[in-house]
Amino acid sequence: MLVRSYKIAAPRSFENYIDDVILNKGEALIKIDKVAICKADLRYYIGNRDPRLLGLKYPLNLIHEAIGTVCKDEGKDFNVGDKVVFVPNIIPDSADFERLKKYNTPELGENYCSEALFASSNFDGFSKEYISYPKKNLLKLPEGVDNNILVFLELTSVAHAAYRRIKFKKGDAAAVWGDGNLGFIICSLLKAMGIENVIAVGKHMDKLERFPADKVFITGDPDIEKLSIDAAYECVGGDFAEAAIDEMINSVEIGGKLVLSGVSESKIPFNTRKILEKGISIYGITRSNVEDFKSAISLMKISEYSNNISKLILGEKVIGNIGDFSDTFEEESHNKNLGKYILDYKF
Amino acid sequence: MNIGIVLAGGQGTRMGIADRPKQFIDVYGKPVVIHTLENFDIHPEIDAIAVVCVKEWQDDLKILIRKFELNKVKWIIDGGKTRQESTYNALDALKEILHEDDIVVIHDSARPLITNRIISDNIKGAKEFGAVDTVIPSTDTIVRSLDGSMISNVPLRKELYLGQTPQSFKFSIIKEAHDIAWSNNIDNATDDCQLILNNGKEVHLIAGDKLNFKITTQEDLLLLKSIVKLGKLERI
Repeated sequence: MLVRSYKIAAPRSFENYIDDVILNKGEALIKIDKVAICKADLRYYIGNRDPRLLGLKYPLNLIHEAIGTVCKDEGKDFNVGDKVVFVPNIIPDSADFERLKKYNTPELGENYCSEALFASSNFDGFSKEYISYPKKNLLKLPEGVDNNILVFLELTSVAHAAYRRIKFKKGDAAAVWGDGNLGFIICSLLKAMGIENVIAVGKHMDKLERFPADKVFITGDPDIEKLSIDAAYECVGGDFAEAAIDEMINSVEIGGKLVLSGVSESKIPFNTRKILEKGISIYGITRSNVEDFKSAISLMKISEYSNNISKLILGEKVIGNIGDFSDTFEEESHNKNLGKYILDYKF
Repeated sequence: MNIGIVLAGGQGTRMGIADRPKQFIDVYGKPVVIHTLENFDIHPEIDAIAVVCVKEWQDDLKILIRKFELNKVKWIIDGGKTRQESTYNALDALKEILHEDDIVVIHDSARPLITNRIISDNIKGAKEFGAVDTVIPSTDTIVRSLDGSMISNVPLRKELYLGQTPQSFKFSIIKEAHDIAWSNNIDNATDDCQLILNNGKEVHLIAGDKLNFKITTQEDLLLLKSIVKLGKLERI
């Protein structure tokens, strides 16, 4: 079927496309209902990537945080009208299964598969009316939770992918560097998982005060290094990642663990001497997988968690045409607040 | 119930293609009428679809409906000599099935780029107002000429809209308008909303979309194919 589709064709420039969506074997046809814009989408929008890479990616359907409604499933795994969330990390059938098994461990998972496709990067994103999508990458939404909150399932799944890299013991303290959306969500998740001592570190006290953390600190505060931190999560990225990681290395206990999640375009130097002296372990996380999404759905059913996430909703933007879509991207590109807009597709 | 009535009864004499009506012309593996029907078939608020089709192409249509698994098409109805007669045939065929407040969404089969939003807004508007027409604002200045050689007047552009389809109605309102038209020997209305207005009732506007254009000429077909081809751009 012929559907409307908005593709980024050049920095800050979307174009209308008509896509011929064909229902493929093993897939279901989904009407995309609500989405949110991620920092990765904004990097493509602003053009803040290597020009050669952008040249290879454009024109591209952005957006990988989305929920939708099942319109057709010949296999009957889903009913017409089922509300679903999209898992954007797709393992193609052609992926080498033996190699894949190596990744498919509880600590890692298929989000580390080098052959994986990712919606809005090397696979169609969700800036379109309808999409034919692999059923193995669709999960039914829980009932009784507001759909706008459920758009945060993807970010929750990424937070879960970060959480599961650390095996917490009772009484462990965890700290999160970064006062953005992912930092907030990891804090919320850690509290929901029963971590008693959760610390948030950032640059803006007005944001940190809204975090569901036990203590909050402005970065650079000398008291941070006096804390007894067992695991530290980096959710900063960009040019500020260097200072954050340095502070994390200085603050964690001997044998402490660092989990890095922020994306930096440039190389970040580490204080290797202190890493060696403290025996620090460093873990990298990227994206999330189907199991993370299942855990995210379970978390959303906990009212304290979903109430916390609702604080990240800045408002709803009705997207009736490409102008509305472009305006919302522009507004998000200047957004310095905690939270983001939910885009309600009506085109 | 919300019923889509898709008009595929025309012969497309302006297309320059002799062996098939324009709605059966193939666009990247599917006839235009199938592209259009898919948008109705997949729409969650559409309960069933009636297709008005020229008699000699009805078997071909049935084969296509099976091939492309369009599950909501319940009726194939004979086309009439005019658009008005085709619509009337559909309304007459559905009169035993539909109730007064059921909604009919009447759409040209040659407008394949209809959107989910336009269908939803039509259903909502028809439920609220009884009769709605899909339009887009006129961006060109329209001039009026009575003799085809001189301008008679230039209507105010901001008051002018270009009519598209769907046109959507409560069943009782559109059926009554057609019955009255026939009894008054009006048999060649190009637009169902005219009949409603003739009957002294209001018709409200629904925002259309410039891409929801009608395939009437070879140039329109070229435009449609070009638009779809752009979307098929493959990555190396």
